[in-house]
Amino acid sequence: MNIKNIFLGFISLLLTGSIISCNSFLDENPKENMSLGQFYKTAAHARSGVNNLYSAGFMNFYNANVYAGATIGWGSYLSGLFDNEYKGQEVIVQYSHELTISEANISGQMNSLWRDCYSAIGRANTALKYIPTIDDPVGFSAGEQESLLAQAKFFRALNYFHLVKVYGDVPLILDPYESLDGIYMKRTPTAEVYTQIIKDLKEASEVLKSEAFTKNGMRVSKTTAETLLADVYMQMSGYPLQENHYKDAATAARNVINSGKHSLTKNIDEDQQSAYNILRMEDNLTEYIFSKERTTSTSGFTSNWTQLSFPVYAAAWGIFKYTLTNNAFSPMPTIVNAYNPDKDLRIKERQFFFNSYEYKTDSISKFKAPAPWLYMDEEAMFETGLSGKDFPIYRYSEVLLTAAEAIAQSEGVTSEAVGYLADVRSRAYTKQTKEEIAAELTALSKDDFIKEVWAERLRELCLDHKIWDDVQRTRMYPVTSSDNKGVVSFVNVIGAKNPFGATFQEKHLLWPISDQELQRNPELNQNPGYETKD
Amino acid sequence: MNDLLTKRKVTFSSKRVLIAILLLFIGLGGQETFAQNKSLITGVVSDTKQEPLVGVTIQIKGATTGTITDFDGKYHIEAAPSDVLVFSYIGYTSQSINVENKRTINVQLQEDTQTLDELVVVGYGVQRKSDVTGSIAVTKGEDILRQQSFSALDGLKGKASGVNIFTNSGQPGGASRVLIRGQGTINSSSDPLYVVDGVMMSDFKFMNPNDIERIEVLKDASSAAIYGARGANGVILVTTKRGLKGSGVNVSYNGSVSLGTMASYMDVMNSKEWIKAFMIGQENANKYQGKDFSLNQKDYFTDPNLFDANGNPLYDTDWQKEATRNTWSHNHQLSIQQGGDNSSVGAFLNFTDQQGLMLNSYLKRLNAKVTYDADPTSWLSTGVNLMVNHTWGNEAEETGGHQMPRRSMIEMVPWMPVKFSDGKWSNSTTVSDELGLEGMANPVHVLKTQERMRYRTQVFGNAELTFHLLPGLDLQTRLGIDAHFRQWRDYSPTDLSNISFPNGRATIEDQRELLWQEETFLTYMNTFGRHRINAMMGMSWQESTYRWNWSETEGFSDDFYGTNNMEVGTIPKPPRSGFSKWAMNSYFLRGSYNYDGKYSATVTARIDGSSKFGENNKYAFFPSLGLAWQISNEDFMQNVSFINNLKLHTSYGITGNSEFATYQSLAMMGVGTTLVDDNRVPSAWPGRLSNPDLKWEKTHMFDVGLDIGMFKNRLNFEISYYNKKTKDLIMPRPIPNSTGFSSVTSNMGQITNQGIDLLINTTNITNSDFSWNTTLNMNYNKNKIDKLGENNEDVFTGPNWVSGYQTILRVGESLASFWGYEREGFWTEEDAASGKLPAGQVVGSAKRSAKKKILGKGLPDITGSFINDFTYKNFDLTIDFQYVLGVDILQQFTHSTEDRFGLTNGDKSVLYDAWTPTKKNPKTQAIRNAAQDAGQSSELDSRWVCNGSYLRLNMVQLGYTFEPELIKPLKALRIYFSANNLFVTKSSNFRGFDPEGTSQGSDKFGQNMFFFQYPKPRTFTLGVTATF
Repeated sequence: MNIKNIFLGFISLLLTGSIISCNSFLDENPKENMSLGQFYKTAAHARSGVNNLYSAGFMNFYNANVYAGATIGWGSYLSGLFDNEYKGQEVIVQYSHELTISEANISGQMNSLWRDCYSAIGRANTALKYIPTIDDPVGFSAGEQESLLAQAKFFRALNYFHLVKVYGDVPLILDPYESLDGIYMKRTPTAEVYTQIIKDLKEASEVLKSEAFTKNGMRVSKTTAETLLADVYMQMSGYPLQENHYKDAATAARNVINSGKHSLTKNIDEDQQSAYNILRMEDNLTEYIFSKERTTSTSGFTSNWTQLSFPVYAAAWGIFKYTLTNNAFSPMPTIVNAYNPDKDLRIKERQFFFNSYEYKTDSISKFKAPAPWLYMDEEAMFETGLSGKDFPIYRYSEVLLTAAEAIAQSEGVTSEAVGYLADVRSRAYTKQTKEEIAAELTALSKDDFIKEVWAERLRELCLDHKIWDDVQRTRMYPVTSSDNKGVVSFVNVIGAKNPFGATFQEKHLLWPISDQELQRNPELNQNPGYETKD
Repeated sequence: MNDLLTKRKVTFSSKRVLIAILLLFIGLGGQETFAQNKSLITGVVSDTKQEPLVGVTIQIKGATTGTITDFDGKYHIEAAPSDVLVFSYIGYTSQSINVENKRTINVQLQEDTQTLDELVVVGYGVQRKSDVTGSIAVTKGEDILRQQSFSALDGLKGKASGVNIFTNSGQPGGASRVLIRGQGTINSSSDPLYVVDGVMMSDFKFMNPNDIERIEVLKDASSAAIYGARGANGVILVTTKRGLKGSGVNVSYNGSVSLGTMASYMDVMNSKEWIKAFMIGQENANKYQGKDFSLNQKDYFTDPNLFDANGNPLYDTDWQKEATRNTWSHNHQLSIQQGGDNSSVGAFLNFTDQQGLMLNSYLKRLNAKVTYDADPTSWLSTGVNLMVNHTWGNEAEETGGHQMPRRSMIEMVPWMPVKFSDGKWSNSTTVSDELGLEGMANPVHVLKTQERMRYRTQVFGNAELTFHLLPGLDLQTRLGIDAHFRQWRDYSPTDLSNISFPNGRATIEDQRELLWQEETFLTYMNTFGRHRINAMMGMSWQESTYRWNWSETEGFSDDFYGTNNMEVGTIPKPPRSGFSKWAMNSYFLRGSYNYDGKYSATVTARIDGSSKFGENNKYAFFPSLGLAWQISNEDFMQNVSFINNLKLHTSYGITGNSEFATYQSLAMMGVGTTLVDDNRVPSAWPGRLSNPDLKWEKTHMFDVGLDIGMFKNRLNFEISYYNKKTKDLIMPRPIPNSTGFSSVTSNMGQITNQGIDLLINTTNITNSDFSWNTTLNMNYNKNKIDKLGENNEDVFTGPNWVSGYQTILRVGESLASFWGYEREGFWTEEDAASGKLPAGQVVGSAKRSAKKKILGKGLPDITGSFINDFTYKNFDLTIDFQYVLGVDILQQFTHSTEDRFGLTNGDKSVLYDAWTPTKKNPKTQAIRNAAQDAGQSSELDSRWVCNGSYLRLNMVQLGYTFEPELIKPLKALRIYFSANNLFVTKSSNFRGFDPEGTSQGSDKFGQNMFFFQYPKPRTFTLGVTATF
């Protein structure tokens, strides 16, 4: 046996082998996911990209957590008008009540809010860039491509709107990032951000179908876009911009009202079939203009809000299909006293709130503080441990109140404005007719009428977490008393004391940008009053 | 093909170089030198077992010429009668023979037992220890086995200097972490590369320790750079047992039985203390928060099932005792080794059953290994090795923050029984009083009814062919596979409060991982006069494929089915699956040269290509150079009789780290489903930014060391200093979130690890009856972040819960630095009176710094062991201490053992060390019942952090070896008794079970951070080793 021959044969075999195997041996061919270059080629891709926006960024702020409440409620905590039984460990609640929030002590929360909104904006930007390039005439139904673009614009506007309310000036980014070019962006003035929001919403509104959200396959519709537009105009008209867009707000709100697609849910009785209890249980009412959708019909999309309807200790009764409960949005007396108990159905037991519960025969437990009955889902609590209740983002009652205020501001206390406020109030004041209520309101001055609208917004929308938005734009802080229940007066928020004794300063009308984002982006600067001195 | 050629330029040019060097080798091998005017001497060189030795060097003393033996051990050489022939062979003692008038000289070489000329396994071959220029720690199999631990890593602990092994859990098969010479990475794996019999093994933890013959740890660049892109964390080379060398049969049995007990308990309140603390809390609420709570105990504790008429508790349950047990474990190892003329066979069997301290947790292993080695012809040797390893067991949950037993056995209120008299399990809410306890299932209930089965099957094997091409020149080709099949089966029943109530939950996860590897290399070893050459070059292909499937269902109406019939669950989750694959292609060479036994040099070079890297950086080059000077062989040292070994060695080189997730260089879409109109609809989003420039992490390592042997090796001293700079760290570079992305996987930043490895080995006493050996092992390591991203911004990657991110990466600091507030004291009544108390704060709550700061670090400065071995006649005694210094612990559990009282039970400090107006040096906040008045303010502050240094009496073992005459027909018999983990001295501020741990799973920043631990046992073992 000639060893050298064997050896040389072996070597040549190996070298041949290596050259063959070298062919694409180190190429990467991922199979779990597509790369961006492979995506956005078909109508199905376009749908997937837009579907995602229904569960991205701002939309996730409506996900409840039994300890922390929900991101959408951070403004409610900062207002000092809601408490959380787990305040000790949920420090954002504590710092909000102390008014000691800083870029460092709530850095995690501020970072995630900013990140989530921009992540959704980036996804919308990607969809807006690529969907127009898709050539798939068979895949798209008529008008679908345009509708998908309109939905993407809506969600971009929705996320920018939240950012601008929370932080003021924010970088305005309208193209998706695909490399590191130009990543350090300066803050864009609030007014310019609003201009873009309005542009997106108007373009969306022109394309989207005129239909109620709940009858449009739970997709945003023309009335959803117009409702958001009205809200945007209201914010722009107030602080910090104070650009008078009340007329535009009125127009947008009227577009919704006059579309005829929405209506207020009516009381069937004044107990468990009241409008509020129907809202508590039903998802598909035309009162809903936009909701965060939840379901039990497919796994992984349930809601936890019902766990926030009982105090912590109630879990020990052993009657629930949940181990944990927490009164994470417990209304402070300022809110409770905003309702007239003689007139207002909403403050009756088991409408918006409840104060006690009979958990077994002859054992009535009285709570230390009222808890939100509106979040209670009986089937989930007692039978399944799974709640599919949607959470309202915009309800028709809000549009009516917006219209009332916008019309009063731009046209005066007209009968139309009075009528809209009376619509909302008369549903609660069941002992009075709408006409009686309207008559009382007609006599009011423009200023007093507007304050009545604010008070009504407080009563109607507090559990939808709209209060802080109103404080930001009006710079007015509600004051009530137990001696004069149902009467709400408003004081300048700057200098006002919250129920915990802390005093609001101008800086609190915006939140601090997280120290992490400031480090990541040298072009950013902190909001006034939150700068750290090193 | 043209495209391909340009793309793969690096590959092809490197291949050409390889071929050229290869041919050169062949030429060298063929060279034989003949002297003139001398007679021809022939002969055979064999070992003491008459086996011919191949490749023995035969030299004429004083000349530069020589030859080597062929495959039959034969040689021929021209020599004059006055010449002296020197026969030398690696691993054997050299012999000198005067030629005189002999024409045939047959020689038997003795195996060299001196440590100096020990052979050391290095990557792709062996080297004489004296020629090694790097830092390699050697550990023998029997030292690893001694502790009878389930995992070989536990046995290796403290035996190799510079190798830090953290046993992070007391659970059988629980988490451990291996760090060699500090942590030099942030986002990639910090685990060393495991190479078993030349094949890379992805999961080493469950390997049978008895299969291991020896472990070499390659620590510096000169030794590890031969593994190039995977060598930066050090390399653990494992050589497994084979058949018998020589002829005959050797059957041995090694068995042990162990009893394990709880080594310590956390100091939690009993029933009376809990109620006392509760009442103080109510009093405090009245005093400092204007509440109007009743101060009568009877008003709160009225449930007749739990309290008497005066509100005193009926039960006082010690949950730590109820949830744990004494464990019985046993371990059986059978080895059958046979050797014959041209072949040998080894068979190794193992059964281990290890119980865990927490009820129902256990791990069992069945392991079988077969080896076959043969020399079928004079030019070919072959070897086959196949190992099948199956482990299965039920594990107690160790990660996560919800109410799992390791937590609830601390937090469950003591006044609740395990079961009520009607046989029903208690949980924290089976009380009719409105106390507001946090919902949790009792730990015994969880441990006894929850299934968390872990099945792992590993098939590992390799086959190799060695062609003996020419004297000294071998071509070796080796094909290896490492396949892992894992299955997790979890079922949580419908009645486990806050875990799976009310719907139950069944989960099955399957993982399949297959790595194959083909390596072919040439080795050449020869001696020319005073020149000794040891060279190797080769190439390698590897590919790893990973697939997983996951399914989960809830909605069980009956707990009967468990994971055995998932269809019964009415609320199925969408199934999930995944796939990933990576491949590597490498070329490597090593040249080692020694002159006159005094001066050595080793050069290594490796070119690695990996699929994981960006299109622009697929290949990289990893070189190293090592130098050594055997000073004791110099003439001027010959008179220094007390020093028998003195060696100075140094090396510099580059190694890489590519142990991170696949596809990171590509911009990938994330895909899944979301909800629209009550339906699951497809959803997609841009998941990350691409980085076509992504490349290796490179570690530049300098090493210098001194080995000293004195008084005939009675005192051995090895010390080395290293400086490891890891550059181009692969990590998520934080970018502004406004881009829509949080980070991009980039090469950024730099970390330095520098330190000293020290090993002192002394024979203090040795005489015929008594001997005493001492080993002191120490590693000092200083870890520092030199650079981070473009703006040197802080990076937060650690666990994110109370107070946000709990660790920080900051330039100038160590990795694993804890991030939180300083606790400056407590808000007092004076503060309240003078208006200093902030709105919303309460008297007695913690006063904290305005800003967060670094509170400590989880990576130690110094680790090591101190081991003493004694023998007296037939008795042997080992006393093994292990120590860690210069480290802190983040006691994350403080959040719930101190700051959540009222929701749960807590530490005794809540009652005895709480702030009151008169308390001196209070340690905890004034008692506030969390469920009654919003509770303590809980933030990560300095109270959570304590010194983590400790000294552990790791093992005391007493053995007795019987005289061979007494035990015939047995060849050898030893029995032993050992006690492990007898005591640990630790900081008095440490309130957990054991100062060594983490509950952050594989999170690299989680070392020494824990949110409750699986306790570590104290074990007592009785064992026997018998050879037939």
